[in-house]
Amino acid sequence: MSERITINPITRLEGHGKIEIFLDDKGNVEDAYWQVVELRGFEIFCLGRPVEELPRIMPNICGVCPTPHNMASVKALDDLYGVEPTPTAKLIRQLHYNAFIVEDHLLHFYILSAADFVLGPSADPAERNILGVVRKVGLEIGGKVIEARKRCREIIRHIASKPPHPEGGLPGGVSRGITEEDRKWIRETADFCVEFCQFSLELFKQVVLDNKEYLNVVLNDAYKLNTYYMGLVDDNKRLNFYEGKCRIVSPKGEEYALFDYHDYVDYIGEWVEPWTYIKLTHLRKIGWRGLNEGESTSLYRVGPLARLNAADSMLTPLAQREYETMFDVLGGKPSHHTLAYHWARLIEAFQAAEHMQRIANDPLLTSKDIRNMELRLEKVGIGCVEAARGTLIHHYEADADGKATKVNLIVATQHNAAPICLSVKKAAVGFVKGPDVKEGFLNMVEMAFRAYDPCLACATHALPGQMPLVVNIRDRSGDLIRTIQRP
Amino acid sequence: MTLSNYEPKVVCFSCKFSWGYLTDEDTLSSKMDNWVPLICTGKIDATHVLDAFRAGADGILILGCPEGDCHYQDGNYEAKKRVYLIRRLLESVGIEKERIRIALSTDPEGESITKLVAEMRRELAKLGPAKMGPVKERKSNEAIRAIGGK
Amino acid sequence: MVKPKVAICWLGSCGGCDEAVVDINEVLLRLADAVDIILWPVAMDFKYDSVRRMKNGEIALSVVNGHVRNSEQEEIAKLLREKSQLILAFGACACLGGTPGLANLSTKENIFNWVYRDAPTVVNPNGNYPQTTSRVNGKELTLPEFYDHVHALNDIIDVDYYLPGCPPPPYSVMYAASAVLENKLPPKGSTLAPNRALCDSCKRNKSKPDRISIKEIKRIHEVEADPDVCFLAQGIICLGPATRDGCGEACMNINIPCRACFGPVEGVEDSGAKFIPAMASILDAESDEDITRIVNQFVDPVGYLYRFSLPVSIFRKKRAEE
Repeated sequence: MSERITINPITRLEGHGKIEIFLDDKGNVEDAYWQVVELRGFEIFCLGRPVEELPRIMPNICGVCPTPHNMASVKALDDLYGVEPTPTAKLIRQLHYNAFIVEDHLLHFYILSAADFVLGPSADPAERNILGVVRKVGLEIGGKVIEARKRCREIIRHIASKPPHPEGGLPGGVSRGITEEDRKWIRETADFCVEFCQFSLELFKQVVLDNKEYLNVVLNDAYKLNTYYMGLVDDNKRLNFYEGKCRIVSPKGEEYALFDYHDYVDYIGEWVEPWTYIKLTHLRKIGWRGLNEGESTSLYRVGPLARLNAADSMLTPLAQREYETMFDVLGGKPSHHTLAYHWARLIEAFQAAEHMQRIANDPLLTSKDIRNMELRLEKVGIGCVEAARGTLIHHYEADADGKATKVNLIVATQHNAAPICLSVKKAAVGFVKGPDVKEGFLNMVEMAFRAYDPCLACATHALPGQMPLVVNIRDRSGDLIRTIQRP
Repeated sequence: MTLSNYEPKVVCFSCKFSWGYLTDEDTLSSKMDNWVPLICTGKIDATHVLDAFRAGADGILILGCPEGDCHYQDGNYEAKKRVYLIRRLLESVGIEKERIRIALSTDPEGESITKLVAEMRRELAKLGPAKMGPVKERKSNEAIRAIGGK
Repeated sequence: MVKPKVAICWLGSCGGCDEAVVDINEVLLRLADAVDIILWPVAMDFKYDSVRRMKNGEIALSVVNGHVRNSEQEEIAKLLREKSQLILAFGACACLGGTPGLANLSTKENIFNWVYRDAPTVVNPNGNYPQTTSRVNGKELTLPEFYDHVHALNDIIDVDYYLPGCPPPPYSVMYAASAVLENKLPPKGSTLAPNRALCDSCKRNKSKPDRISIKEIKRIHEVEADPDVCFLAQGIICLGPATRDGCGEACMNINIPCRACFGPVEGVEDSGAKFIPAMASILDAESDEDITRIVNQFVDPVGYLYRFSLPVSIFRKKRAEE
């Protein structure tokens, strides 16, 4: 008799989601669905708002990654008003943006992934968390993570106001400049971050390269997914978080498309299913082919691993070296190994930190020329950035009074929604064999999901402890046979 | 409630310095529902107006003193500006601009008050009841049923 | 000594209020020592069942952020109310409904039609819409039910204290925490922030003229605002006069005007309505045409006045009316 397993991270709100796994008669996984249960309607309630208020409203989409929404929104305004930010304004914005990438990526690495990597996936669940990591590598690491986050957020507050909800940003500029006094502590923060990112990468490499067992998990087929990959690249095809063209590479690594993000509607389609609130993006020109990978897929992924796959190189030298090392170990580009997202995430943080250093030393940073006032209202404005989790697009249309008449948002986690379903299913298929469902399998499935760092996973990892899971095993008629609860 | 049964409710605020001060207040109020005579329209806060709509008013009529004649210098002037602002706010939540009016003039006997109120009620009869609260009428369709609505 | 039990929970939330708690940095570790955090979905392990098994009032304090707009959120809010001695509404969404409360100006239908049908990237040849129950490949999947209306927390449960802000700033969080731990709480129903308006502590107040008089309303991107002068005196809409103090002027400091995330001052129920007379008094326009002209420059009244507080404003639909 076939059974159903419900993995309900118990309303992890903020994009809550749940996972449903269906077993066939032999107790093998037949199907799995990752469902997003939330919708708030930003695209509708922003209508009628003066567009310059949108960079202040949009960060309410996510308090964990508000900066990308703020930045995509500001860039959409640049576009809508036909204006280029001044060179100094651009430096300040990129300083803000890189500071965010550093603190967000580091936080996720240490709270989410470090436990799996540093302690290994088969470690005792009670130990497999940030405290376990800290016990293994030293107490001061915890302190350094807090310090890095605190310092980066000081930069964010200084430029754009409250870090969980920055409200700064104007078309053609920024609202506040940087002084020489500021430069001093900004530079110190940048140096601190470069050093800490370097340390984090060393830690990661020691742990992965030294631990054969773990390397095998990373390279395990259950965690492999053959999809396309998308990310922003500059004119030299180097990875860029703030601007560039959208590049998509095929599962084989060939360039499938390189386009101006203004044309995103031609490339990205959003498929609707009745069992989830999130729309499933896919390559529009290929058409929806269902939840499938490989030759016939139309699915693509975004985020750290995808960006490293889509770009030819990193922007900064030290990060570039790490990029080369990673692909060496993984056996070439593109890498389909989902767990490598964690590694790519650290390399990206490294680039962002190096870039912060560059900006902190740029003479133009403290110029008073922070506003380009030549605003000329058009009808459409589109802004695109690489959010921590993936490509983010804000598309606004406005009337003659500069009030929003149309808003379309493509949010990072959407691009990965269908791949997440697939990853979860593959992990379940790979690790659940037969009717005897062990507690250990939960973590294996979780790991597939966590690698993408969707907003919900961030919330679900525990400190201390693990992601609380309830697994309900039901028979065909829906009756509960057994419950596995962790811990 | 069909439109033929609809009896628009108008709340009328008027300043005693210019409106009806020569007539006994009780006499005048027996001729009208919801008449609020007060000293100076400058005392009217946006809260009073919005509260009145909340309580079921379909329209608000404010009668102040002629320009330049306010006993407190600029109470009527402030009232006018407030009304214009309130009107703009009401429009943005779907309450029609015809539902709030201000007239700055004088009528010591106060006879025209009932006429002005009646005039406004005629206007409001064409608009229907004021829908306080920005949530518009729900139309049934699959989308609503889909998410468990009626 | 038994440590008091504390719960930190989010309902319809963006996650920023939980980040705000983490933003107290090292103080958080000390706090975690002084209390027994039994629930904090963002960072700690928890079980709803274990909360359900607690005695009523066993939790000393539940810190709740987020608004309520679905049955799941309502259930959790009520569960915590039952088990807690004190409920603290944390952040603008819990206190006032929050920015997503602007959705109350529209309908679920409008939202659905755009999101699942009309947006330019939508590919939906079968006309699918999310369903509370659906069948896929013979399996049944469910989704929770949404309300038509966004509610602030006190529309659903009895709230003891309020800590406003989007999000509440770190020192504000620490102040609230120590007030609870040292049992130095003001009367029930209080907001744990100063009673006066933002203007009182704003640095620009010093240069504010006795009588502000503007002939034009300017939008922040149209001008290069003077960082030392009162925004209203420059013709830029700033809700400071109608907003409670306590945020540390995060927005003012980067030279953008206040949008009232701290809610109304003490004794005022609707901050938007309160702002109107203040704004009227600074408009320098006499004739009907002049007044009309300048008032039309106030381009988004409901958005400016009620960005965070529509669900608790005079325009809200109370539970009983739904």
